[in-house]
Amino acid sequence: MTFNEILDLLNGIISTTGVFNFDPKVIVMWAIASLFIYLAIAKKYEPLLLLPIGFGIFIVNFPLVPMMGYEHGRPQLLEFFYHYGLEWEIIPCVIFLGLGAMTDFGPLIANPKTLLIGAGAQLGVFITFTGTVLAGFTLKEAASVGIIGGADGPTTVYLTTLLAPQLLGANALAAYSYMAMVPLIQPPIMRMMTSKKERQIRMRQLRPVSKREKMLFPMVTAGIIALLVPSVIPLMGMFMLGNLMKESGVVGRLTESAQGSLMNIVTIFLGVSVGATMYADKFLSWKPLFIFGLGLVDFAVCTIGGILTVKIMNLFLKEKINPLIGSAGVSAVPMAARVSQMEGLKADKKNHLLMHAMGPNLAGVIGSAAAAGMFIAMFH
Amino acid sequence: MKKYVMLLIGLTFFFPALVMAEDFLGAPVIPGGKVLVKTNARLELSVPEGHDAVLGYYKNALKKFKDIRIRDWEKATYIEDDGRLPWHSITISKDGGSESTVIIVRDNWTWILGTLVLRFFGVFIVLLILFISMSVSGSIISKSVARAEGKKVSAGS
Repeated sequence: MTFNEILDLLNGIISTTGVFNFDPKVIVMWAIASLFIYLAIAKKYEPLLLLPIGFGIFIVNFPLVPMMGYEHGRPQLLEFFYHYGLEWEIIPCVIFLGLGAMTDFGPLIANPKTLLIGAGAQLGVFITFTGTVLAGFTLKEAASVGIIGGADGPTTVYLTTLLAPQLLGANALAAYSYMAMVPLIQPPIMRMMTSKKERQIRMRQLRPVSKREKMLFPMVTAGIIALLVPSVIPLMGMFMLGNLMKESGVVGRLTESAQGSLMNIVTIFLGVSVGATMYADKFLSWKPLFIFGLGLVDFAVCTIGGILTVKIMNLFLKEKINPLIGSAGVSAVPMAARVSQMEGLKADKKNHLLMHAMGPNLAGVIGSAAAAGMFIAMFH
Repeated sequence: MKKYVMLLIGLTFFFPALVMAEDFLGAPVIPGGKVLVKTNARLELSVPEGHDAVLGYYKNALKKFKDIRIRDWEKATYIEDDGRLPWHSITISKDGGSESTVIIVRDNWTWILGTLVLRFFGVFIVLLILFISMSVSGSIISKSVARAEGKKVSAGS
């Protein structure tokens, strides 16, 4: 073998490595990935999602990695997860099945008027839509960005995949990041929007809810949503199926699987494939930054919307509602309800609002799904 | 050069369709139409062709735009842009037989804000209906449970 042949051989080997195909832009993506992995590990911010998302961002931002593309017409590993899990809209629905199997709707059934708070807390979704259109996004993109304020990760992923898949990474990341930061974002707004007297309002203990009511709830809700907003029934139907499985008490094994191993498996696929959509070429533009900025405004307005709804309801109610539970109308279950509890205790050490706040919190899940349904209906 | 200029003027004179705006706010305007109304926000044309032919023209002319949605209504076909084009909709009437009316409307905030307000209240209505259903079913079940428990107590005593 001649020296030139050896050089050619070496050249051939080297050209298949990432080193000579390196693009400096990926360094920024490594930094973003590291930030989210750090937040997940060190700060415990939504670690179940931010960790796989962060790693997904990290691993696809190396040159020549066969992870997120097609080879000989066959999807590569993460493309495979993305295609069958997200593009086929399976993962968000399976996550909703698991969430349903974990959820106790008792507080919402005991005080159904809190459903209206869940609707009021969607205010930011619609206001952000307007802001996003003004900024030059298309209507479909604006709808997918707006839903971030609903603070419901699977709904955001579902709607974005359907309307603006090019924004999936940024939207999902913004939604999960802000959901993790609910304890930081909401309290100042809650204090600003309420007087001390309002924060001290004590609410009557919730009535006990019978098992029969709990079993009827998923059937009634699924039926009504299917009639009124059929486009979100893949999400809400799964949510209510999970809940019926739980409340019926006859399919313990299925309930356990749905809320445990199945949920964990799809969470891994969701996180890593969402992260994998964030290539440097696609992600490094003004749009993701704008989405992050507007996502924060969205959350704030949704919080304000929930509190305002309680205040308006209080004008007509004999038994007043503590407006602090209004902020829980953004979904972020159960974090937002815990924030209401903590703020309530600051105003009155004996005022426990957690169970009262769970009502609007769960209503927020239904409300954000209904808002997503309204957007889907707008475009399909 | 003068020859070419004269030729261009001549063409302009003999083929007015060539110099008429072939688009209105970026939306294609079907040739041969008679302008009924034209403002800076709306163009209304009468076209001597049936609905299907006009729709075929627009489907072909708009095929490169990905955010176009075509809705089939009873009395018209409604073509809507969900993207960022300066026009919002093209409505093609269905009831004119061999003639059609085409209306092109500029993108407008009234539509966006209107639909948003309606949809926001739509969310309220969905949850309001759910609230009413839950309240009704809750009270019926609570009463039946209370009645059943009352019977048990009386049977026990």
